[in-house]
Amino acid sequence: MSLEEKVKAVFKDVLEIGAEEIKPDEKMDICLGLDSTEMVEITVGLKKAFNLDILNNEFKKTLTFNELIEKIKSRGAVE
Amino acid sequence: MKKISITGLGIVSPSGIDKRKFWANIKAGRSAVKKIERFDASKYQSRIAGQVHELDAYSNVSSRLLKKIDLFSHMALVASEISIKDAGIDMAKENLKRAGIFAGNAIGGWLYAETELRDMYLEGREGVSPFMASAWFPAAPQGQISIHYQIKGYSKTIVSDRASSLMAIAYGAKNLNDGKNDFILAGGMEAPVSPYGLLCCNTSGVLTLRNDEPETAYRPFDKTRDGMAVAEGAGILILETEERAKKRGAKIYANIIGYGTTTDGVDRIEPAADGIELGRAIQMALKDAQLEPSQIDYVCADGAGTQIGDLSETRGIKLGLGGHAKKIPVSAPKSIFGNMLGASGVLDVATTILAMEHNLVPPTINLNNPDLECDLDYCASGVQEKEIKRALVINRGRGGINCALIIEKS
Repeated sequence: MSLEEKVKAVFKDVLEIGAEEIKPDEKMDICLGLDSTEMVEITVGLKKAFNLDILNNEFKKTLTFNELIEKIKSRGAVE
Repeated sequence: MKKISITGLGIVSPSGIDKRKFWANIKAGRSAVKKIERFDASKYQSRIAGQVHELDAYSNVSSRLLKKIDLFSHMALVASEISIKDAGIDMAKENLKRAGIFAGNAIGGWLYAETELRDMYLEGREGVSPFMASAWFPAAPQGQISIHYQIKGYSKTIVSDRASSLMAIAYGAKNLNDGKNDFILAGGMEAPVSPYGLLCCNTSGVLTLRNDEPETAYRPFDKTRDGMAVAEGAGILILETEERAKKRGAKIYANIIGYGTTTDGVDRIEPAADGIELGRAIQMALKDAQLEPSQIDYVCADGAGTQIGDLSETRGIKLGLGGHAKKIPVSAPKSIFGNMLGASGVLDVATTILAMEHNLVPPTINLNNPDLECDLDYCASGVQEKEIKRALVINRGRGGINCALIIEKS
């Protein structure tokens, strides 16, 4: 499974949405209606999925999905 | 105070979610108190309760949101939706900066909280849902209702034990009287049927121990009473000024015309035996409504079902209404579905409104052995035919929080 697919799996698990609802270049709070606590829950899921050492409020809901992927990569996650 | 109209009714109760079903069960005096089956309550001293069924059938709350909220918020959202629809309010056409929420509950959302606390001890802090922080606290339902409907006006959550939602209705009415809102969603919600919630209710010592006879266990004003059966549920009323309600052609169930509140200040759990402060709260409500005691047709009582609670309430009603207290029916219809703690008040107001509509006084069930010191007409023999023009609703919280509200048929 690619890094992107693993991230989408976390979103699907937390938000109970289909992968097609994620618009890669739109802000997540707008396209997914993501609230701040949901972003924390997604971050906790990403920490487990990629064994990241980050704070729970590291990622903001106003990022786009593609920006989030870049940030996850910059924290050392690999495909 | 100005007349504040009640134009919407949303009920989520063990006796029914729809108001027709609810009233049919009240009228028949059909008990909804049963053995608790949600979890293993066999080790609890009191293990019976009024529990809500069919909530999912009435709920439009998404599974995504359900993960974030406790049962008490869920029930409040369902009650709000029913009430808004009943009032014929189109939220899209309202100025939501002038809409408000006044909600009351006593214990918060423990079903969610205790599940997460258990996970914290089993899995560590990473095992706790981040929604925990916003799911359990008493103002959570107010927050969820405001988010759902984009309500942005003056709002408040009242925590006054079993008087919480009656206080919320009273303060909501005051706010409308002061011109701070155009309309208000007012009421309460409570979900005490959880392992920790029930434990707290048990340790307060006010629950009945008649576990083998759930339907007849809660018996307010009966000589053999030994406490209340706890219940879960929610109720939301739509409140607006009479002027606005008439202008938009709304059905007005009844008007709130006065209220009074006092505290006993004598004990952590029990009310003052003399009922003096309850009597004073009733007199404050009468003064606020500019009424004489003789103008009250019915009293919807708190009916705690404890030895001292019912005695103290009877004394308070007699002090508040004088000799008139013995001439009118006084009943505790919550004996049918259980004591909803902080949500009791709104269900009492809803029951009283339906009683006014049907010209029937709801009964106190399970009162078979009269107590000589509780000597009012508690409608023990069943529903009574009577036109109710004005009614007094009483709720009392632990430690003697007293609230009295007067409503008048439109």
